[in-house]
Amino acid sequence: MSGRVIVITSGKGGVGKTTTSANIGTALAKAGQKVVLIDTDIGLRNLDLLLGLENRIVYTIVDVVEERCKLKQALVKDKKNPNLCLLAAAQTRDKSAVNQEQLKAICDELKEDNDFILVDCPAGIEQGFQNAVAGATEAIVVTTPEMSAVRDADRIIGLLEAKEEIESYRLLLNRVRPNLIKSNDMMSVEDVVDILSCSLIGIIPEDTGVITSTNKGEPIVNDEKSLAGQAYSNVAKRVMGEEVDFLNLEEPKGWAAKVKKFFAGLFGKE
Amino acid sequence: MTKGFVENGFIIDLGNAKDASDIIYELSSILEMPEAQYRQICLKLGNIDLTQSQLLSIKSLITSLNSELAFVDTNSNQTELAALNLGLIVSKLSNEIEVVEDEQVQDYLFEDNSHEAVSENLYEKIEPEQVEEKIEVIEKTDEELQAEDKLEELIDEENEQDKQKEESEHEVSKMSTLYLQQTLRSGQTISYDGNIVLIGDAHPGSEIIAKGDITVWGILGGIAHAGARGNDWAKIRALKINAIQLRISGFYARRPDSLNIPFIQKTSQFTPEEAKVNEHGEIIIYKLYSE
Repeated sequence: MSGRVIVITSGKGGVGKTTTSANIGTALAKAGQKVVLIDTDIGLRNLDLLLGLENRIVYTIVDVVEERCKLKQALVKDKKNPNLCLLAAAQTRDKSAVNQEQLKAICDELKEDNDFILVDCPAGIEQGFQNAVAGATEAIVVTTPEMSAVRDADRIIGLLEAKEEIESYRLLLNRVRPNLIKSNDMMSVEDVVDILSCSLIGIIPEDTGVITSTNKGEPIVNDEKSLAGQAYSNVAKRVMGEEVDFLNLEEPKGWAAKVKKFFAGLFGKE
Repeated sequence: MTKGFVENGFIIDLGNAKDASDIIYELSSILEMPEAQYRQICLKLGNIDLTQSQLLSIKSLITSLNSELAFVDTNSNQTELAALNLGLIVSKLSNEIEVVEDEQVQDYLFEDNSHEAVSENLYEKIEPEQVEEKIEVIEKTDEELQAEDKLEELIDEENEQDKQKEESEHEVSKMSTLYLQQTLRSGQTISYDGNIVLIGDAHPGSEIIAKGDITVWGILGGIAHAGARGNDWAKIRALKINAIQLRISGFYARRPDSLNIPFIQKTSQFTPEEAKVNEHGEIIIYKLYSE
């Protein structure tokens, strides 16, 4: 078995790389794929929090690199899904603790008995980024419909294009707010795709559920009612090669929806 | 006594010279001055006695220095005879100086506002003040000459500029061209010792630096520097110029702050645009093939 190594990157921080990694990983595992998530954000690790695995970490990627443990020992199994594992980053070290060859070696080793290896990349274009990209052959570029995020994504795509190992990259547009696009206060999906001239792998709507799920340590894909969760599972399907239509992000119309919204507003709920 | 009037005349007073070699020495230094070129020379020889052969050698010296000996003024009989034998116009001054009316002098000066046209008799009569005036006139003429020179220089410069332009354009067309078919993204730089043709967009944050022209078949959103080695006539063209900065040779222009379009919507209808440096040293963008 030779798995696919996909790096999830963005350039800019705070656009949702880690959330995306956790959710796509969980969705793939739910679909029966064997998945390993690697957190390369050494010193600023978060992926374990999103998965609710913080208290289970014994060994980290730095321990593996420095040969204090075997790679298999460092993989933390998910609470719910045995197909999903996490290779956590060390919190007490920094990016220079690992180099590109070491990360490539880890990816190559994990490829052998997993379907997917998702690498969560740190923000920036320095060594952390270079490390994360080293072992990957595919990339998902996460961006939000803001000029600054789009610029950074452009820069990242340029860097990815320069890397021979990266065979394909696709764009994931996060935190889209359809009502703002409608009122022309936000760049539309088409605008972003136009600017970046890059194919799209998913559109994730802004969802307050993401915040609560992060706090709970439960990826939002497990909540099947949530629009963002549905969008993430669709992304996972597209990663697996299925053709899925993009979600209709328009808010439901008709009087029943309006009444519902009115009462929701009265009781202070969205 | 006759009053002569010589067109384009130039008087040289050699009355202080002692012999023929003195005269030749003085003449050769005077006639090299630009003012003395291509003129009818009037020689004032005073009391020196010159033989015909000496006068002939003086005449040929003057001819060799681009002027012509037209008029000789002397007190010496021998010189007069020699000059007459050589077919020159001669005036012999008696030692008594004829007084010329001031009015006449004024007339003369009025008539003659440069140093042309002289009868040395009159010249003799010019009071020191008037001589000064005359010098002023000459100085003015010098200024004029200088101005003319400057004008000529300017014309030369313009011609040279035209020539340079042609040469530069020719040079640009002779340069090798880098042909690229890609999207140039933020942070990516292309620099080439020649022309660059990019098929695709140049995104904001990218840089294109070329020795010659830059042509982008797409939207130019980054920085473009054409003629980077100092070719003022280099041009930048694109389907849409939305560059943050344009640089041509040593000139540069930035996008006006009022034109803050974050991105250009792609359409199927772009009118190609071109940027160049105009004669005032400003970078201008104009549409190509507009109606």
